Amino acid sequence: MAISASTRPKPYLEAEYCKGCLRCIDACPKDCIAQGTEINPATGVVPVVLDLATCNGCGLCIQACPEPYGLRPENERTVDAAGFELEDPAALFGPRDTTAPVPVDIPDRHLPLPASEPLVLKGTYASALGALLAGCRHVFGYPITPSTEGAELMAKVLPKLDGAFVQAVSEVAAVNMMYGCGGAGLPCMTFTSSPGFSLMLEGVSYMIGAELPGVFVNIMRGGPGLGNIGPEQADIKLACRGLGHGNTQAITFAPSTPQEMLDLTRLSFELSFKYRNPVVLLGDGYLGQMTGVVRLPSTFTKPGLPAWAVWGDRDHRRNLVSSIHLSEPDLEQHNLHLLGKYGAMIRDEQRSDLYRCDDAEILLVACNTPARMAKGAVEDLRRKGIKAGLFRPITLWPFPIDALKAVLPGVSRIVVVEASPGQLEDELRLALDRADVARPPIDHVQRYGGILPQQFEIVDKVLSLCPVQSGEVMA
Amino acid sequence: MSATCEFQAKDYRSDLKPIWCPGCGDFSVVASIYRALAAIGRPPHEIAFVSGIGCSSRIPGYTTAYGFNSVHGRALPIAQGIKLSSPELLVLAAGGDGDGFSIGGGHIAHAIRRNMDLTYIVMDNQIYGLTKGQLSPTSQKGRITCTSHYGSLEAPVNPLLYVLAYGAGFVAQASPTDIAGMAAIIEEAIRYPGFAFVNIQSPCVTYGEEAQQIKGLKAISESLAALGHDSADRLAAMDLAQHYGSKLHLGVFYRDPDPAPTYGDLVRDRQALLSQGALPKERILDLFIKS
Repeated sequence: MAISASTRPKPYLEAEYCKGCLRCIDACPKDCIAQGTEINPATGVVPVVLDLATCNGCGLCIQACPEPYGLRPENERTVDAAGFELEDPAALFGPRDTTAPVPVDIPDRHLPLPASEPLVLKGTYASALGALLAGCRHVFGYPITPSTEGAELMAKVLPKLDGAFVQAVSEVAAVNMMYGCGGAGLPCMTFTSSPGFSLMLEGVSYMIGAELPGVFVNIMRGGPGLGNIGPEQADIKLACRGLGHGNTQAITFAPSTPQEMLDLTRLSFELSFKYRNPVVLLGDGYLGQMTGVVRLPSTFTKPGLPAWAVWGDRDHRRNLVSSIHLSEPDLEQHNLHLLGKYGAMIRDEQRSDLYRCDDAEILLVACNTPARMAKGAVEDLRRKGIKAGLFRPITLWPFPIDALKAVLPGVSRIVVVEASPGQLEDELRLALDRADVARPPIDHVQRYGGILPQQFEIVDKVLSLCPVQSGEVMA
Repeated sequence: MSATCEFQAKDYRSDLKPIWCPGCGDFSVVASIYRALAAIGRPPHEIAFVSGIGCSSRIPGYTTAYGFNSVHGRALPIAQGIKLSSPELLVLAAGGDGDGFSIGGGHIAHAIRRNMDLTYIVMDNQIYGLTKGQLSPTSQKGRITCTSHYGSLEAPVNPLLYVLAYGAGFVAQASPTDIAGMAAIIEEAIRYPGFAFVNIQSPCVTYGEEAQQIKGLKAISESLAALGHDSADRLAAMDLAQHYGSKLHLGVFYRDPDPAPTYGDLVRDRQALLSQGALPKERILDLFIKS
């Protein structure tokens, strides 16, 4: 049978392969092909459009098409292009046929801790103890002043508790060891300081993407760059707004005493598993090194195993840890899921400490060690007859805006006290702006470079804003 | 560019007083570097000296060369950037064993295979001194430190062997047990046209073990020249390098008798080749319009 116009196959367009080079338009003698007007969302380019009403199946357009899968004869449509789909690891390694039982959560157990005398511990040790009481038995780290003592204590204690400390070759290696340990569903942590935390951020982003728990204790030191080993608070921006690339957030704690270093490290593990997300604990250089009274809790935790863990046995065969979602709609869904988690954190995990805020007209806002100077300043100012109070965010992200809103009506001025160029103030301003509340004027006392604001500097600043009217009054 | 007057070792010594512990091996390393630079005779402003982070990485500050204490583990990439942008400079990189073989270990292979004309001096003391005594990648297995209370479980790296295996054109080892020898080795390394590596066993008097102090090092040291080692024989060098940790071989392990062209040479050759018949440089945009 002769091949005629009626039996010759007409072309069809695989739009995802068309680069819009327009060579087919020139080739077509019947003007069946036109330049497209719509961007293909899968490729970002504009494919041609076909109108085959007058097509005689000459095939010149197919010859002209430089793409092997762009324009093809209609009768070859059955050749499935799916073989050339991007291989999504979620499809490659994801849920697979298995007769194993669906894994279930093995819950944590909370066992009584014998009562003991209060201890006097330095901040990094208190944090390490908090982690041990939370059931953490795996610590990965790299020496960096002023955080190393926490890792050193863990190196000494963990081998006796069936655990392990590994001194990684770098912070980059340490965070990825945490990725592995967290993926297995076990609590793990690191101690680091500002330059080391910078190095870890890529891994933090991957852990957030893969929804893995892990606790990062960052004893902040002077920066930028090598800086020095004095105390600073200039990683607040990094923890709250810059945890690596992509849509990342993590609960960020700012303890201000060795006791809080212990308590908040414990809590960090609980929340890290609750949300399947890393948690950051920001201390300053003094807090890491200073000693203080630490009372131990009445219980300690024996961790269970979450159902999602890639534990490496038959039951957990169907689990997948991955931060890759090659299909755009899948990744959009994943981001929506993460945003849902962040929303829940903002709703449920704000924490703060209010000191003499009930009638405060001057509200100091400070965290970490500077909050202790600010607390002294509040006392001093009260003695001078100024109604000062201290609002101390314990979570920097989510910022405890709900508690702040409650005290704002009586406040005539806010003074942010920090050892950073306004990173805490930025969090405060952003939170106030998002909450859409009227705010009083905001001033600040800032020191940089490894120096903390002193109590007298805070008092002087407040006095310069609102001079005492009628001599000293005893509060 | 070349020296117009004679320089003496003191011309390379800065006004800063080193804050290393008294007795630190690094004092004699910096003294040897002064002597080597004086022998070469390039004025201090034609020398760039960068280091990473660690006790030994303070060394550029004690010289009058341009230089700085850079990022932990990144002395070699920074040195390569300097050398590429200012090929006429004499570029030195230095650091400790932790800086070079742990966090910076990944950079060594690539600096070597690129054959940048640099001299890399590692002051190897088998310990992290600046952070007060943690395990280092060259610490012996079983070593007790504050991050290995019950003894290290990890075998040490052998920097000599792996630098030889990466294909470095010049590999030597020195020690403060022989300061004159150390200055001569550093001078020869700097004069070598290409990547030169000098491992210096420099004892840490504060956190180092007894066997790694000067006395202990002297007991295990052997001169490669006295052994009759042929420094043109890479395999013989690798054979000797296997004894790193148990013996202290001093001298040149390997010196490529036929040095390969450096990366800088190749870059300039490539530029010259591509400039032939090329458009005038001010018509740079034309390059993108029509190839």
